Amino acid sequence: MVDELLFFMEVVVGGLLAGTMYSLVALGFVLIFKASATFNFSQGAMVFFSVLAFCGFMQDFNIPFVLAFILAALLMVVVGLCTERLVLRPLMNASEDTVLMATIGLGYVLEGLAQAAWGVEVRRLDLGIGDFPVPWIADNLKLFISALDIFAGLVAALMIIGLFLLFKYTKIGLGLRAVADDAGAASSIGIPLKHIMLLVWSAAGVVALVAGCMWGARAGVQFALVDLALKALPVLIIGGFSSIPGAIVGGLIIGATEKVLEVYIGPFFGGAIEGWAPYVLAIFFLLYRPEGLFGEKIIRRV
Amino acid sequence: MSNSSANILDIKNIEVRYDDVILALHDVSLKVPKGKVVALLGANGAGKSTTLKAVSTMLASERGKVTNGSIEYDGNSINKQTPSQMVGLGMVQVLEGRRCFGHLTVEENIISGAYSRKLSKGDINQELEKIYTYFIRLKERRKSQAAFTSGGEQQMIAVARAMMAKPKMLLLDEPTMGLAPQLVAEIFNIVKELNTKEGVSILLAEQNTNVALKNSDYGYIIETGRVMLDGTAESLLNDDKVKELYLGISKKGRKNFRDVLKEESLKKRSN
Repeated sequence: MVDELLFFMEVVVGGLLAGTMYSLVALGFVLIFKASATFNFSQGAMVFFSVLAFCGFMQDFNIPFVLAFILAALLMVVVGLCTERLVLRPLMNASEDTVLMATIGLGYVLEGLAQAAWGVEVRRLDLGIGDFPVPWIADNLKLFISALDIFAGLVAALMIIGLFLLFKYTKIGLGLRAVADDAGAASSIGIPLKHIMLLVWSAAGVVALVAGCMWGARAGVQFALVDLALKALPVLIIGGFSSIPGAIVGGLIIGATEKVLEVYIGPFFGGAIEGWAPYVLAIFFLLYRPEGLFGEKIIRRV
Repeated sequence: MSNSSANILDIKNIEVRYDDVILALHDVSLKVPKGKVVALLGANGAGKSTTLKAVSTMLASERGKVTNGSIEYDGNSINKQTPSQMVGLGMVQVLEGRRCFGHLTVEENIISGAYSRKLSKGDINQELEKIYTYFIRLKERRKSQAAFTSGGEQQMIAVARAMMAKPKMLLLDEPTMGLAPQLVAEIFNIVKELNTKEGVSILLAEQNTNVALKNSDYGYIIETGRVMLDGTAESLLNDDKVKELYLGISKKGRKNFRDVLKEESLKKRSN
């Protein structure tokens, strides 16, 4: 009985921690959705592009780890800059659907550029943290929890705190929240949309890099990261597209439920339900709580 | 108003189209003298909002364009400006329907108006205190989320927010829409105060002809995208056509709807 409970705990905790990795990817989507009310389909490509560049800097040019990370982060700021100037500004007055289509195109461009620059083979990324159970926790709590999962959880927590402080207490953060509420009113009082766009795309790029490092360290840096990022979709539906806490909690819920379902219900379906179970959960949310757990309710006065 | 340098805003024969096709303004010319309040009056769809958005250059975001005529603000053409540049030049529009940032607090809303100015925290607080002297009600509610304040308070937030940008000229689009008469008076008192104490020139779009003219220096009446009539506020208030069509006063001396009802009830009794 105790063993079973411990096993259940292990599944849940493992799921929660794996969920933080979903949260990290979802965070990038939320940033852009807040500012432009657009689902950024190129977020997955940004994850792939950024982490491949990071590996490329380290492995092809022998640049040290920290410097390579900073370079990759700067590269993502440049990508944000180019995106604002070349894609978003010309589409400034276009409909949200047009911008959505543009992000799909942007995704293909980034995927192509990444592979042209750094090649197509799967790369190994070593963060210096192994993807194996931490001995101390295994000995004392009898739980087998991966060190990488714990690290990802800590990094996710730090990113959230950082973003929260940025939004709550800085001028540009206030600008972003204003734009998220009413872009027209924000521009009527002189908040320049282009600065806000630049900020969110750069921030989303850096978040993509961090998420890419976590996923890359686990599954290898490869093209599949692009599709994996789409796992963020059910996370966002559950958490709410415009909420940063929502992205986190949504990620945790998806991570934990998919693991629990896989272990306990999976065998009845012949296993591998991890891939689609989150989407089923998302459908229930769409039916009963379409704004998600933390999504901002649309407030309209007539 | 012959001396052009005395006008902060000078609109000459503008024509505006949306989506290159829909003609919203045929021919609108108007002037706002420095330090004055000018009312732009007309029914729904007459072109009041379009005129204001042409001035603040917000038209572009709604796929509208000035296709003819010229607009001069403070002696310069506003041709190639963006809305945030106009704010930098001291021209701020308060959009129709208040448009507060609902998820921000009242105070955050007001502070966001100072975004275009480079102010220190101390300066912002000083400005804020000054603004609260005009909007006493908002100071009490500073920590509430804007979405949960009343319509009148939201209108005050919108004007206070615009004032944080330190405008030389305010464009107010139907500031009294949907407000109770008492609040209408309160809003107009504040607007008048801002005009006299801060020296802000004001162009005001309103459907509430009577109150608007009583608080303005000059008025323009537009219909279907054309200026039909203009004159000093006083002359318009006394104009027979304006009385008949916009103020609901006929020559028989009915003052308002209540008087009409009174007359009718008297008739019934005498029958």
